[in-house]
Amino acid sequence: MMAGALRGVLCPRAAAGLRAARVAVAAPPGARAASEMSKDMLPGPYPRTPEERAAAAKKYNMRVEDYQPYPDDGFGYGDYPMLPNKSQHERDPWYQWDQPDVRHNWGEPMHWHFDMYIRNRVDTSPTVVPWHTMRKHFLIFLSTMLIMFAVGEIYPSYRPVGPKQYPFNDLYLEKGGDPNKEPPVVVHYEI
Amino acid sequence: MDFPLILNISMFLTLLILSSPILLPLLSKNYQNSPTTIMRTVKTSFMASLIPMILSIYSNMENTTFYWEWKFITNFKIPFSLKMDQYSLMFFPIALFVTWSILQFAVWYMASEPYTTKFSLFLLIFLIAMLILIIANNMFLLFIGWEGVGIMSFLLIGWWHGRAEANTAALQAVLYNRIGDIGLILCMAWLASSMNTWEIQQHSSTNQTPLLPLMGLILAATGKSAQFGLHPWLPAAMEGPTPVSALLHSSTMVVAGIFLLIRTHHMLCNNQIALTTCLCMGALSTLFAATCALTQNDIKKIIAFSTSSQLGLMMVTIGLNLPQLAFLHISTHAFFKAMLFLCSGSIIHSLNGEQDLRKMGGLQKLLPTTTSCLTIGNLALMGTPFLAGFYSKDLIIENLNMSYLNTWALLLTLIATSFTATYSLRMALLVQTNYTRIPSITPINENNPAITNPITRLALGSIMAGLLITSYIPPTKTPPMTMPLATKTTAIIITTLGIILALELSKLTHTLTTPKQNVALNFSNTLGYFNPLMHRLSSTKLLNNGQNIASHLIDLSWYKKMGPEGLATLQLKASKISTTLHTGLIKTYLGSFALSILTIILFTQN
Repeated sequence: MMAGALRGVLCPRAAAGLRAARVAVAAPPGARAASEMSKDMLPGPYPRTPEERAAAAKKYNMRVEDYQPYPDDGFGYGDYPMLPNKSQHERDPWYQWDQPDVRHNWGEPMHWHFDMYIRNRVDTSPTVVPWHTMRKHFLIFLSTMLIMFAVGEIYPSYRPVGPKQYPFNDLYLEKGGDPNKEPPVVVHYEI
Repeated sequence: MDFPLILNISMFLTLLILSSPILLPLLSKNYQNSPTTIMRTVKTSFMASLIPMILSIYSNMENTTFYWEWKFITNFKIPFSLKMDQYSLMFFPIALFVTWSILQFAVWYMASEPYTTKFSLFLLIFLIAMLILIIANNMFLLFIGWEGVGIMSFLLIGWWHGRAEANTAALQAVLYNRIGDIGLILCMAWLASSMNTWEIQQHSSTNQTPLLPLMGLILAATGKSAQFGLHPWLPAAMEGPTPVSALLHSSTMVVAGIFLLIRTHHMLCNNQIALTTCLCMGALSTLFAATCALTQNDIKKIIAFSTSSQLGLMMVTIGLNLPQLAFLHISTHAFFKAMLFLCSGSIIHSLNGEQDLRKMGGLQKLLPTTTSCLTIGNLALMGTPFLAGFYSKDLIIENLNMSYLNTWALLLTLIATSFTATYSLRMALLVQTNYTRIPSITPINENNPAITNPITRLALGSIMAGLLITSYIPPTKTPPMTMPLATKTTAIIITTLGIILALELSKLTHTLTTPKQNVALNFSNTLGYFNPLMHRLSSTKLLNNGQNIASHLIDLSWYKKMGPEGLATLQLKASKISTTLHTGLIKTYLGSFALSILTIILFTQN
């Protein structure tokens, strides 16, 4: 074979290596290394014309009707699609996803905030009870508790107590009574 | 007899025996651990720890030892001191006894797992961290134990790490504990700056401790002991295997927060605001958890909420300025709660992984030992007279009734006590009685002694522990001795009311149709809506804003607004304002002349 013939090669083992390299250069067309993305696959500027929109939708593997970029307000989203804010919790757990742990298929466009919507983070699945009802009931519960604690502080609970009673003349002298005067008779009982 | 020496040697021996499965493989090439050897090590360690406990009861003596001092800077030294007082010497045998039973159970429960040795080793490392926390006299050593139990909790809850819910639960545990750690570090910083030491001194000063470090301590206890506000991680932690729930999230780790408050109660006792905060928060936690437990269908979740409720009760006891009673409740609670978890584990494995109460029933005849011990555990939890829980719970209720305290806190605690009886009985009735709802073919058996021995051992503990502990440890504060009959029997009356309520409701469920959703059911079943409200709101806002600030806003502000675009905007604004003045009309210039002359005249007036 012409491609196999090499001239001016000293060592046959090196010739075999060079032959293999020659063969490897003639790779099938369309093949590319998995690590590099070419310029046309990366996100680009905001699409202004319908043709640019169509090209961007094709790039992101979406239908043109579904493709909706972020509004161009200077935040630098470019032509990245604005997908609905739904977390991975809402996706079918029983479907055979290509990547079951993130419930994502190969080639599906990922949400800009995909790392927020994985199953360990924010859950946007619909709740049984609507949000405003939950908030209202929780705040009613919390405020009732706090108000009742305040009321409980104002009216504490304790065993019934009376003033301490001392025998004889109820500590008349120690409480600052006049030693010259006759102490009043104190009786701590009723008959 | 030289008590301190024997005390030190036996404690050192306990800890050394406990660390041997970790140290020996490093020293010898042929030594292989296995779950059985680790279980035997813990059993030996338990026997060794009985010596210092009996010695301290006999001699009524405490000891503080320090082995090494870290001379950090000349002014601030950190001694690694160990305090062997009644709390640590009593808790060591209890924790080791419970861990021994749990490890023996785990040999059977985790038998079909890969890496069972790693599991037992994790439990052992957790136990060592917990014991460091218990025996520490220095906040630094306590913090080491504190973080150690937090990390092991994370690793053990996420044991089945292929499961996303388990990972989320483990993350929840770590984050909520971290929020509590803020409080602990705040208190440590205050201690270092004002007392110049991290030693936990035992004398109580007459002047009031400032509120900030005490709030820090209370925040730490809120995080670690799952009080209301930082509670969601405890029911979520049931994603871990049942031995993990039995050891960490019922007996040992969650009491670390309460234990911290017991150790530092000399700082708390003279600040009434801090005590009232503990009281109110504990009362709210106990009622909230008991309410949530009423409508849960997962057996492990019910026991988790039961734990949360009892932790609230311990916090209430701290708020009543009774740390020794709180410790008594910790000790008795460890026995019956661990037993309840082990019984639930036995039931779950026997029904091939079924955890839903609605698919259990009639197990009294099928699993006699397990269900009998479940009943004993539930009775002990309810405070049945003369079982373990009675000695602590009844005393707490008596002290509640006889104290000067917030009325609402008292009411909430009493209501929660009756709810405890209700949900315990609900669980027992749904699991054990009536027609069975289990699938036809289940691997139901109790043949392995690795199931029955731990459970019966803990049942013995649940019956005897209260009596033994109260007989040998005299109370430090005089308990109220005389009270009216109604006050004395409050606990048993409200428990009986809860039992009657549970029996009535179970009779209703057998005759009426399935309940429709109503407000109270929804509130209780979804844990008060706390989880979705807090978790979704805060994480969305934080993550969204973080992403926007970090990636968009910084670029927008620095590269655009602070640079070319910002300069251009400012220029435009300035030129627009000044353009309105340059109209070209004579009257504008005459007007500006007049204004300037007026201003000069006004300013040069005297």
